[in-house]
Amino acid sequence: MISFKHVNKHFGDFQVLTDINLEIKEGEVVVVVGPSGSGKSTLLRCINRLETITDGELMVNKKLLNSKDTNINDLRKEIGMVFQHFNLYPHMTVLENITLAPRKALGISTAEANETAMFYLNKVGIPDKADSYPSQLSGGQQQRVAIARGLALKPHIMLFDEPTSALDPEMIGEVLDVMKTLAKDGMTMVVVTHEMGFAHEVANRVVFMDHGRILEESEPAAFFSNPKEDRARLFLSRVLNH
Amino acid sequence: MLDFSILTNNIDTYLEGFLNTLKVSLLALILSFILGVIIAVMRISPMKVLQLAGTAFVEFIRNIPLILILFIFYYGLPSLGMELSGFQAGTIALSIYTAAFIAEAIRAGILSVDKGQMEAGRSSGLTYIQTMRYIILPQAIKIVIPPLGNQFINLVKNSSILGVVAGLDLMYFGDSISSATYVVFDVYIFVALFYLILTIPLSLFVGYLERRLAVTG
Repeated sequence: MISFKHVNKHFGDFQVLTDINLEIKEGEVVVVVGPSGSGKSTLLRCINRLETITDGELMVNKKLLNSKDTNINDLRKEIGMVFQHFNLYPHMTVLENITLAPRKALGISTAEANETAMFYLNKVGIPDKADSYPSQLSGGQQQRVAIARGLALKPHIMLFDEPTSALDPEMIGEVLDVMKTLAKDGMTMVVVTHEMGFAHEVANRVVFMDHGRILEESEPAAFFSNPKEDRARLFLSRVLNH
Repeated sequence: MLDFSILTNNIDTYLEGFLNTLKVSLLALILSFILGVIIAVMRISPMKVLQLAGTAFVEFIRNIPLILILFIFYYGLPSLGMELSGFQAGTIALSIYTAAFIAEAIRAGILSVDKGQMEAGRSSGLTYIQTMRYIILPQAIKIVIPPLGNQFINLVKNSSILGVVAGLDLMYFGDSISSATYVVFDVYIFVALFYLILTIPLSLFVGYLERRLAVTG
């Protein structure tokens, strides 16, 4: 479903991604971990072309991302994205936030879009907030709205860019629960996170990155109990033992 | 004391000028706003050609005097076979001139909207234009209202250049009342009052909008 082959990315002289090779199959949950500045978010953002790759080949849904023939707007409708800072539209109600793209990008009627939006608001557990503005919600609720907004496009892939990093500790659980449910439903998910518990429990695979390279790629049980790379071992000892 | 008979004797003339000033201000306000938004969006678009065209427009227009733009349209165009009335030339010159300042104000407003908003819009499959229209511009407009209000007040005052090209506005009729009555001071004080009738409510309205939009966050 997503395939990186020898992908490199530079920001000017600085190489952010180096020789990335990664295959993600339908229904897989892949969690990307690593220290800050390791290129995890950049890797994720390449998948819907918020960042462009410098060279190599990146296929998403059988479409070449860096090809002129690929209509990026059409491809993005198949990929939901959840951001660290939620990025809800502050001038719109929750319902309007969720229905904007279905109405304007997919061309769905307002009535149908509202129905779909309410379905997903139920799924994330806050149907009573439909008419609230984002500023009236807690961080956890805002992030759940953002997830519902991503799902409302009925995407094949969901991308999560540190979805709990900006949340109060108390609210992390409610967001992770929604993501766990989503994973159980068979959604293809790529998640950049520091939540090792989530990675351990939900991921099919853990990808460890450092300095723009994928250093290790393994099943969570193996990764957490017996990491192959020294750098991964050091990283885990720092994030797990405190 | 002011001689109010000047006002009452010439009230029709004053009112005609007042209405024309109102008309040119409203027309130029709408035209300059539309043009200003387009130029602002061009300047921040990802396309280099549009950026360049937008920047060229702003830098050219805001760095020459308004009256020069007016003369180009009023005296210059007839030599190319296009006759414009003073009113028409004035409206066009005023719209173009003000648009350059409005474009700058709006551009600053757009740039102050969080980058994540554009990313959220684009990543959900909306086009650049759709994201601008539904997500970025509605947020930018709140930030932009105070500087826009100032531009619109300037616009009303700048409309007095129509007087130079027989544009039938307040200033023009003020001049004509003055030369008919040989009164200068009182005539122009009344002209000033008519301008204030337009600009003070405008100023209050901008203040009201600012407060109202602040509430809806």
